[in-house]
Amino acid sequence: MSAPEVFQLSFGPLTGIAFSPDRSQVAVCPNSNEVLIYARNGDSWDLKDTLAEHDKLVTAISWAPNTNRIVTCSQDRNAYVWTHNGSAWQPALCLLRINRAATCVKWSPNEDKFAVGSGARTIAICSFDEENNWWVSKHIKKPLRSTVLSIDWHPNNVLLAAGAADAKAYVFSAYLKGIDSKPQPGVWGDKLPFSTIAGDFKSPNGGWVHDVAFSPSGDALAFVAHDSSLSVVYPAGPGEPLAAHISVRLPSLPFVNLTFVSESSLIAAGHDCQPVLFSGSSSGWAIAESLDDPASSGSKPLTPHATGARPSGGVGRLGNNEAFNMFKAADSRGQRGVPAPGGAPTSAGLTPVGSDGLLLTVHQNTITHVEPYEWNSNGDVSKITTAGRDGRLVLWTVPAGKGGLAGKMAGLQV
Amino acid sequence: MSDYAFRKIDIDALDEDVLLPSDLYDPDPRGPDGVLSDAQSKSSEVRNLISRGDIAGALNTILTDPPYGEGVDEAKNLTTTALLLILNSTRASEISGILKALGQDQQDHLMAYLYKGMAAIGQGGDVSGSVLLNWHEKLTEVAGVGCIVRVMTDRRTL
Repeated sequence: MSAPEVFQLSFGPLTGIAFSPDRSQVAVCPNSNEVLIYARNGDSWDLKDTLAEHDKLVTAISWAPNTNRIVTCSQDRNAYVWTHNGSAWQPALCLLRINRAATCVKWSPNEDKFAVGSGARTIAICSFDEENNWWVSKHIKKPLRSTVLSIDWHPNNVLLAAGAADAKAYVFSAYLKGIDSKPQPGVWGDKLPFSTIAGDFKSPNGGWVHDVAFSPSGDALAFVAHDSSLSVVYPAGPGEPLAAHISVRLPSLPFVNLTFVSESSLIAAGHDCQPVLFSGSSSGWAIAESLDDPASSGSKPLTPHATGARPSGGVGRLGNNEAFNMFKAADSRGQRGVPAPGGAPTSAGLTPVGSDGLLLTVHQNTITHVEPYEWNSNGDVSKITTAGRDGRLVLWTVPAGKGGLAGKMAGLQV
Repeated sequence: MSDYAFRKIDIDALDEDVLLPSDLYDPDPRGPDGVLSDAQSKSSEVRNLISRGDIAGALNTILTDPPYGEGVDEAKNLTTTALLLILNSTRASEISGILKALGQDQQDHLMAYLYKGMAAIGQGGDVSGSVLLNWHEKLTEVAGVGCIVRVMTDRRTL
């Protein structure tokens, strides 16, 4: 597996990120009310454009791969659709009609509409109104009981999944008359007028749902919640009980984001600061490996796990922590930087901290975005991109094939 | 005094679309009376099991379908007392083995009771901090920090 490419785009968190269709540009929000568009220049990124129209923090960005339009949404309760007129990006207003912050936005697969989740317990489905030259919205309100934290489109351009802070993941119909053609009947239902609920699913321990994702075929839905769980749901058909509802409870910290890389594997990442590959099917899902490979990145095996050998004489769990040792050495001996010899990293600490006080993972803080970056000829994702609160943008190669998995799983302490 | 009196205004009463705890979890299907009789029979069963030295069995019994939610305080107290009795009568060397045999649900519930026990320290009752910390350490080794996160997240308070 080739080493991940790491770019430090900002010293604060990246709150939104979206790549251009040809991957030569990236739009990010550095935790402010502006969206910066960088163009790739060899190993670095050069600032090319600044989209400044929002008044408050931009919470999400989506870049349509075919029509080359960007949609941004913000805590100022607005969304703008940006089109490039050859020299500059022009914003078009969208009438969201919400009274709380917009939290997430995504173009539909056909790129003729987009969905905006918000803190007003509402999802706005937006489509273009030619007459007035702006975007209008229709609302999905019921039965949402709290802030919508994430959304994802089904490949049929009609179904929409949403994860909310009321600890549920929902599947709605976002069918718009005059835009969508009648969807083919599928496992989620056959008659799907606007705002029909095709399913709602709870997280196992009542954690709010951080992110939802449809599998590439759209026949399965996965979501990660704040109770450190990953759930995958397989519907059997309209009116029938689920074919499978798999919940994996993890020993690690919660995941914040996930994306499918094929029908039988997905990558989730979050407060553990490392992307983790899961594989499975309707009979069960399990961790396959962490992408933050210790061999290539110099970090240790999957970490935030309070097991392992503990040296005698340590001060509880802290006795093993490199950061603790660093400050202890600085305090007692006036020593800076590298701690006393023998302080080689061990896996007993809660967080893997290196001798320089940095985490041994590539990301130095929570990963908040995981998106596909490149696909191979089979249609499976071959590269993903992650971004997080550390301001880093990282491109990872997805491990191919299942050959080496058994060996790697043995080294994983789960 | 009047400076912060406004903080005591129940703003939820002014919001017609208020989010209630019952919106976030389903109530126990057994009902308050069923939960109480369940808790009573379990707590006497636990005493029997402890007297026979079957700690693992006792822990398994008490951590299966524990009472949660509102209006079942008596059942909660019974269960907590029985659980603390088990924790106190276990030898430290046996803890790891017992924990590994528990299911994930039961591990999560046990962690919740450990934190409940810690919160009760200093308010009387038969709670010893060192015993709880010992169990907590062993349980974190077996179930990981994810178990702690689940306890903090879960609204079905035990």
